[in-house]
Amino acid sequence: MSDTTVTSPAGTAPAGTAPAGTGAANGVSRRGLLAGGLAGAGALAITACAADPSDVSVSGGVWVARVGRAPIEPADAAWDRAAPTIVDMDVQVMVLPHRPAPLVAQIAVRALHDGETISFRLDWDDPDTHDLTVRVDDFRDACAVLLAGGEGDQGLRTMGSVDQPATLLHWKADWQRDMDLGVQGAADVYPNRSIDVYPPLISDAPRDLTPADYEAADATEWLPGLHVGNPLSASTRTACVEKLTARGFGTATTATKQNVAGRGERTSSGWRVVLAKPLRGIEADEFTLTPGHAHTCAFALWSGADQDAGGRKTPSKAALRLLLEF
Amino acid sequence: MARVKNWQLGREMSYWYPEARPKKQFAAIFDTNKCIACQTCTLACKTTWTSGRGQEYMLWNNVETKPWGSYPLAWDVRELDLLGPQHWTGDTYTGKTIFEAAPEGKKNIGWTPNDMDYAYPNRGEDEVNVTINVKRYHLKLPHDMWFFYLPRVCNHCTYPACLQACTRQSIYKRPEDGIVLVDQERCRGYRICFEACPYKKIFYNHTTRVSEKCVFCFPAVEQGYQPRCMRNCIGKIRSFGFVSTPANAREDNPIDFLVHVRKVAKPLYPQFGLEPNVYYIPPIHVSSNDFLTMLFGAGARHAIDTYRAAMEGDDPELLGALLLAVSTDRIIHRYQVTGDTVIGWAEDGEEVVRIPLKVPTIERAPFDPDLNVYRHNIT
Ligand code: SF4
Ligand code: SF4
Repeated sequence: MSDTTVTSPAGTAPAGTAPAGTGAANGVSRRGLLAGGLAGAGALAITACAADPSDVSVSGGVWVARVGRAPIEPADAAWDRAAPTIVDMDVQVMVLPHRPAPLVAQIAVRALHDGETISFRLDWDDPDTHDLTVRVDDFRDACAVLLAGGEGDQGLRTMGSVDQPATLLHWKADWQRDMDLGVQGAADVYPNRSIDVYPPLISDAPRDLTPADYEAADATEWLPGLHVGNPLSASTRTACVEKLTARGFGTATTATKQNVAGRGERTSSGWRVVLAKPLRGIEADEFTLTPGHAHTCAFALWSGADQDAGGRKTPSKAALRLLLEF
Repeated sequence: MARVKNWQLGREMSYWYPEARPKKQFAAIFDTNKCIACQTCTLACKTTWTSGRGQEYMLWNNVETKPWGSYPLAWDVRELDLLGPQHWTGDTYTGKTIFEAAPEGKKNIGWTPNDMDYAYPNRGEDEVNVTINVKRYHLKLPHDMWFFYLPRVCNHCTYPACLQACTRQSIYKRPEDGIVLVDQERCRGYRICFEACPYKKIFYNHTTRVSEKCVFCFPAVEQGYQPRCMRNCIGKIRSFGFVSTPANAREDNPIDFLVHVRKVAKPLYPQFGLEPNVYYIPPIHVSSNDFLTMLFGAGARHAIDTYRAAMEGDDPELLGALLLAVSTDRIIHRYQVTGDTVIGWAEDGEEVVRIPLKVPTIERAPFDPDLNVYRHNIT
């Protein structure tokens, strides 16, 4: 790890402002952010250990308090231990097409770790639920966390770089619905549709056939995405969060091992979503997070109502430092 | 943005990537004067490529009636509306392409259809351009009242809007044959391509949640055979082969001959700027030059005049090139008219077809004593 020099940001930044509906407190205290001092040549162990979350917020960064067990559920009481960081959002303008304006000006980010797993909770406003990608104009609500080396390294905000890959956690509202209700398809949108036959499957009720039936019949050539193993086309859904690695725009690649978890929930005004992964990276390009160290993080939102996808998104205005309590 | 040469516009234009023409560009020519809208092509494609769950609504090949038909609904008029006025000065297009007209934040103009837009593939079928309000109508050429059939597949464009739009480079144009494909592994269903393709010939599979499109039956093409929609055409309207740029056009390549030498085959909506590689022989009976120019660019009327001359027997080379359509399953790379015969050769020089320019008429007696039956059709 080379990205270990952390200077105390205590009192260096104004208080964050919570966006409406996120439940975050206004005027979060920025005092006593990081206890500890420079340890050795350029390395710092972060040793803050605050019981009161208002005591642990980080200027220009996200403080990740250490707890007994990193929560996976958005409503877990453990989130009370995490002070929200209010993150400014913006439009992505480097790649076309992009949105004319960000979906929201700010989101609330909370993060906790337990020495093994790191959990993020993102809260944002989005009045409409878009959790289907079945109809040709269905686009999903989604959010993502980017993790990379450096310390709030702005150059890595855009999906990492050629030299420094980024790890991405991407929560998808449609995958969440797949998890809750079974993989969604035309039957869920058009229950009364009529189908004569889906060759080469032989069935008295072709309408009820699912991708799993194609797999059982060794006929996945008829579902090309499934046949080639595209994760979007999977016949079953085991997570609503996808782990990817990337080395710059347009390079996001699904990780081979999906050791991730999470869950999204509607609130009265939008979404609150948990995305979690082990601290330790297990893929060639996957980033390993280390307690007591600072790294780089960034966030992004997609709005199905606005047909967001890919680079048409609302990313955080800047990369932030991610500081893990030792 | 790069500056690239689009010969169909008679000028350079802006495109995201520099000009990179394939070694060979496969192309098709559809003779609108012969299409009977039997939809055999549509079914040939449907049963070959899109009978899976998630592809129900997809017609990679469709045949619509012009002027009113469209699949998806109003695909072309919506695009034209976004594009604004389209002017030609002689053979040069002086209006904007869909790339040049791009609004802030996008690489092109475009729109996203919804499910219902695909629900009426036969809308406007067989409907004429105007209301018939006269008691007696006498046919003359061109007709004041008209419609025609427009078969459509992906144009495997030289400057594909779909490819340009994809931020993941999941869409690629094969350097060996110019066929445009969607990498089913890379695609993540963003559908920026779907919004971008002005011909709306890229589709979203609602089961696999990624995009798909016409593959020009590349497994057949790689072996020297024509795509299924071409081979099965009942009206024998479809020619398939490769097209060159005007400077490299070869007189003995039937596609080059029809596109570049006789200029009877015209691209569909060339003003979009994609340099599409499916060409059309415009319908001879359409009276509106404006409509023809809108669909097929400058020179549509000239194409009709040249075509009619061939039908009157004045141009055996042209007649020969036209007669090769659906005369063989093989891809013809070279042809020649010798006397009353047209001959076509495959890439390796093998003769794959030989047909008379004029089908001999044989009159048969009404009664067939061998089968002990009367014939209904005796010519
Ligand atoms: S017609 Fe559309 S889908 Fe086909 S290559 Fe051109 S832009 Fe792409
Ligand atoms: S098979 Fe040929 S004649 Fe029939 S609709 Fe298709 S293009 Fe037209």
